[in-house]
Amino acid sequence: MGIAILILMAVGVLLMLTRILPTAFALAGLALGIALISGAPLTGAKDSILTGVLQNGAVTLAATMIAVLLGSWLGTLLDQTGIGGTLVRKIVEFGGERPAVVALGVFAVSILCGSITGSAPAAMLAGVVGIPAMIAVGLRPVAAAGTVLMGISAGSPLELPVWQFMSDALGAPVSEVRTVMIRLFPIAFVVGIAYVLVQTRRGARHAWAVQLDRPKARVRRGDAPWYALATPLVPIVLALGFTVPIVPSLLAGVVYALVTTTRWGDLNERALRSLYKGFEVAAPPIALFVAIGMLLAAVKLPGAKTALTPIVAAISPSSPIFFVIVFAALVPLCLFRGPLNVFGLGAGVAGVLVTGGIYPMTAVVGLMASYNQVFGVSDPTSTQTVWAAQYAGVRPERSMLSTLPFTWVVGLGGMVLTAVLYL
Amino acid sequence: MNDLELAVELLRDTPTHENRTGEQLRSWAQTALEYGDELADTDMPVDIQVVEREGGVRKGELLLAEHQRGTVIVYTDALRRTEEVARERGWAVTRESLRRAAVAHEVAHHQLDVRELNRRLGHTARLGPFRLRGHVAGADEIAAHRFAHRRSGLAVSPLLLTAALAGRN
Ligand SMILES: [Zn+2]
Repeated sequence: MGIAILILMAVGVLLMLTRILPTAFALAGLALGIALISGAPLTGAKDSILTGVLQNGAVTLAATMIAVLLGSWLGTLLDQTGIGGTLVRKIVEFGGERPAVVALGVFAVSILCGSITGSAPAAMLAGVVGIPAMIAVGLRPVAAAGTVLMGISAGSPLELPVWQFMSDALGAPVSEVRTVMIRLFPIAFVVGIAYVLVQTRRGARHAWAVQLDRPKARVRRGDAPWYALATPLVPIVLALGFTVPIVPSLLAGVVYALVTTTRWGDLNERALRSLYKGFEVAAPPIALFVAIGMLLAAVKLPGAKTALTPIVAAISPSSPIFFVIVFAALVPLCLFRGPLNVFGLGAGVAGVLVTGGIYPMTAVVGLMASYNQVFGVSDPTSTQTVWAAQYAGVRPERSMLSTLPFTWVVGLGGMVLTAVLYL
Repeated sequence: MNDLELAVELLRDTPTHENRTGEQLRSWAQTALEYGDELADTDMPVDIQVVEREGGVRKGELLLAEHQRGTVIVYTDALRRTEEVARERGWAVTRESLRRAAVAHEVAHHQLDVRELNRRLGHTARLGPFRLRGHVAGADEIAAHRFAHRRSGLAVSPLLLTAALAGRN
């Protein structure tokens, strides 16, 4: 039975890889298939297909969905109020004579954007002005895209919606997730800076280059006042410094952005309009979270659990050293919508690791967070990579080749950290 | 369009200038063009290596030449493409003058002093209480185009060619 489930998962991965099915639909289908194979009853209060997997599974990640929605709302506000654009413009104005300074500045802005909202919206927030600005001061296009992506990924250990996701998906308290994440952040931060310095080390590249078919219509927005530029720091300072829960931390950021940039008369309209736009931005991840919730419910069904646990236990390395070696070697499986993609089948795998009691919960959080660091930057099929690379005028695969050696090191660092601390 | 107008357009398309007034951009463009003229008139020893290569016609970018650490790479396929575009518009641009312009553009980047250019542009960057001499993105590119035009004897301005390649006119 366990083998049948694994074959089904392989088919699911194939469907996602070949893009026959969108990830969310494939995961929901997988959840249904796993539930059927593991012999769950159709109806019943608990552990049934209709109630356990579809009804309860769909709302497992409800708190994550709200966090993602608020992050998207705040991200939209950073864009619409001009805060994001102003940050990048100021960096170029103050540091434009030195390409490395501009790149480090955009890297820092990308961390902030990545700590608010994930994936493509964060890349756009930092990159719409940041990528062409870096190219204009002499960075290679592939390095400009890579700098934004490395920054967003370095920000993701501080991304409150990701904390909520790990907490909801694995059943870990937010405080434990936070502990893992703030230890992972310095690794991602230092390696990200190394990436930027390596890319700018050879000095500025000056060219006679013509950008073709770049979307030209950049919206012209005024400068946001300087004190509004602190907005992206508000949620993380509250959540980290004052252990304020995730939803109020993000809401505080929204309020700060609004009152520092918007006249009283326009407040309601701007707040509502950006909120609705935030729904639009959050639609893809929320659809995914509904499906992941179902998948998690399916792999936790008694039948699936008894079938999968022995197999997973047999192939999971138990010594800390093998844990690091094996999982670091498996890094490519989190790319291209592979089975270790944290925002895909990987969440199901993590669920099995936790419910089967194979590793301590914190170790699984560390493992998933490590994979997230690689996936978030280098996966040439993830929306932020595709957007940033194409906007810079390079192929996503080239962007992957440029960043993967660095993100792999971050992932490895995260796994060593996990093994040392939690195994 | 004359060079000044084209230079203003170039600045307008450069990120960070989204909210500048036309007047401001015009004055910066003027200063940058004058700086390019001045550079072209100064005789400086050119210590630079030129290599030719294919591979400048890329998805999303047409790369005519680039330079890093004293080596200029001229992309011959991009020059051919540029020659075609010029011919379609009836501009008498020769391959040789185009190549000279591409090399000169990079020589300009090699020789121009961004700090000196920024000093002349006289822009002040402000952030709340902070004031600092600001960087004007794109101004060096204008100076390089003017320098290349003067040094290569190209029949049309590189600014005009660039705009044509980008499909802007
Ligand atoms: Zn140039």
